[in-house]
Amino acid sequence: MAELTLDNVSKVFVEDDGNHIVAVDDVSVDIRDGEFLVLVGPSGCGKSTTLRMIAGLETITDGEIRLGGEVMNDKEPKERDIAMVFQSYALYPHMTVRENMAFGLEESTSMGDDEIDERVSSAASMMGIEELLGRKPRELSGGQQQRVALGRAIVRDPAVFLMDEPLSNLDAKLRSKMRTELQRIQEDLGVTTVYVTHDQTEAMTMSDRIAVLDDGRLQQAGTPLECYHEPSNEFVAGFIGDPSMNFFDVEVQGNQLRAADFTYPVSDETLQEIGDRTNLRLGIRPEDVTLSTDGATGEHDFETVVDVVEPMGDENNVYLTFDTGGEPDEDDETFVVTVGGMQQVEAGQPVTAHIPEEAVHLFDESSGEAVKNRSLEQVETLGKHV
Amino acid sequence: MRDLARDAKRLVGRLGSAEDEVRADGGEPVDTQGSGPIAALKRNLANQQFRESMPFWLPAFLLMALFVYGAIIWNFMLSLTDPVGLGSPDYSDLDFDMYVQAFTSDSFVNATVNTFVLLVAFTLVSLVLGLVVAILVDRNIRFENTFRTIYLLPMSLSFVVTAQFWLWMYNFDNGVVNLFLDVLPFVDKVRWFSNPELALPAVIFALIWQFSGYTMVVYLAGLRAIPTEHYEAARVDGASTFKMYWRVIVPQLKGSTISATVVLMVFALKAFDFLYALRGTYLPYKGTDILATLMMREAFSNGHFAYAAAIGIMLFVLALGVVAPYLTYQYRSGQL
Repeated sequence: MAELTLDNVSKVFVEDDGNHIVAVDDVSVDIRDGEFLVLVGPSGCGKSTTLRMIAGLETITDGEIRLGGEVMNDKEPKERDIAMVFQSYALYPHMTVRENMAFGLEESTSMGDDEIDERVSSAASMMGIEELLGRKPRELSGGQQQRVALGRAIVRDPAVFLMDEPLSNLDAKLRSKMRTELQRIQEDLGVTTVYVTHDQTEAMTMSDRIAVLDDGRLQQAGTPLECYHEPSNEFVAGFIGDPSMNFFDVEVQGNQLRAADFTYPVSDETLQEIGDRTNLRLGIRPEDVTLSTDGATGEHDFETVVDVVEPMGDENNVYLTFDTGGEPDEDDETFVVTVGGMQQVEAGQPVTAHIPEEAVHLFDESSGEAVKNRSLEQVETLGKHV
Repeated sequence: MRDLARDAKRLVGRLGSAEDEVRADGGEPVDTQGSGPIAALKRNLANQQFRESMPFWLPAFLLMALFVYGAIIWNFMLSLTDPVGLGSPDYSDLDFDMYVQAFTSDSFVNATVNTFVLLVAFTLVSLVLGLVVAILVDRNIRFENTFRTIYLLPMSLSFVVTAQFWLWMYNFDNGVVNLFLDVLPFVDKVRWFSNPELALPAVIFALIWQFSGYTMVVYLAGLRAIPTEHYEAARVDGASTFKMYWRVIVPQLKGSTISATVVLMVFALKAFDFLYALRGTYLPYKGTDILATLMMREAFSNGHFAYAAAIGIMLFVLALGVVAPYLTYQYRSGQL
């Protein structure tokens, strides 16, 4: 067991024609002993490259990776005490499950056959695959192969687990089952884990901490709730959460934020936080908006028209357009609101949307940095919205 | 020709299965009574698809039946007759005398041994060499395409050309091989082809030169089909480069090995062209006589047609022994 440190790590690929491509740009994260860190971001954000640098499958262009205080930069993968789970599982097709699991121990340790056998058996029983030990990978279902791939990593008893989108080849139901199971195993074993995914649900549900990457840069590293409620910039705010946060371009005019379709009055405290910025992006999570049919009474109530309703059963995703008086047309900007599944709304229906100021996020328009977030204390007082 | 036979067989197989599908639909009432080839033929003839497709496959089928399988059967009959010199063979008195004669003849035993040595040594070394080169080429080297072409080029040359080429290479006075040996200390020039102990190895070496490029291409295709994750998983699992190839990659090349082996062995059995082109007669250099050259010599130099036919049949059985396991393997894995 050990802590893993990424210290200003960069990776630059040089193409044949001399083009430099920065895949990972100056990323620093401390991963504590036993922590489950999820690297999340869109395709091509450098998360897999980061993982592969930790594994030793890619060289490190700049910076340092330390495992338990020891610099790993020039070490071969086998000297790093890591085990990796691949997206495609990478099970050796000509070996049985038992041989697949034993291979790493045979190659990396001087253990005797009996000891290897014993460890394979105990890892297999942990994953519930004892009866598959004699089979070849092609005779297994996707879910079983996934278990074998995890078992192959567990049996090594490494200092760090590296997982590269291990659940993305499973169907939705199995994926959520494996998600819980993986989390339980990681907690039982207490092994430091770095997990790469593009799926923000996996990131939210499994991790102790999330590291959000975009374009090779680390955007934010924090607990799932920090990333959700206190995003450090607009990218994180938009990436975490489904459906994602609504954004509006607003201009500061006195104590009002003026958007294309509405004007939002703000309090003095908020104005203080805004300072002398004039152009902002206003963000509001879909579940923080409440709908009613009582008509606009407060200053944060807005007349809207329902455009589309997506019933999810437990909740409805309602797409709204601001009622600007004119005929509704295709180009009207919509924003999404989630309401409880029992709350029936229909397309074309006029509704009043209440956008509470406590839940509003403000971002600098040019840098995207967060100017004002809702705080976690506010979340507790607004408990019913969570 | 063998490919043609396979195509024809596949076609017949496909027609059979098409007919099954029709019957499964309950579309046509057909006589399902009786078994055996005659009944099967009757059933097929009653099938409309089978009848309508006949103009397409029947001519080729009949030509194949006559000139390949007919010729084989005729050859077998000929091998059962007794030698009559240049007269017509007498088909009324058939026995296995020629086979008995072969097994008791020194030259036949010698040729058989040489054939096997050629077969085994040539195939094994070509496979190993091709595999090593394929692995080297696969490791993302520069000018990969150029190397691949260079290694494959000898394969495109005809045996006649490579035989002439190697005659020069092995030339005693100014062949490249001897010039090279001359430079080394303590080594004398060697008379490659006139030394019976060196002649066969020299021939095998030349054939390896010509065919290891082919093995390389087959292996390279096999290597390209293995996902990169397997290499990476093996590295993370702690395997050294050698162990990674030995335990993870090479075992996955079983299919490539089998198909390359079959092709190489069939070529080894057909090495007649090369040996004939080396010397221009049916009598190859001493020590390099194989079944194919012996057969040609017996038939066309000595006029022993019945004896040559017996050798031909045994050569055929050998080739069948090489190809049959491969076909069975392919059939089992559903590729045929």
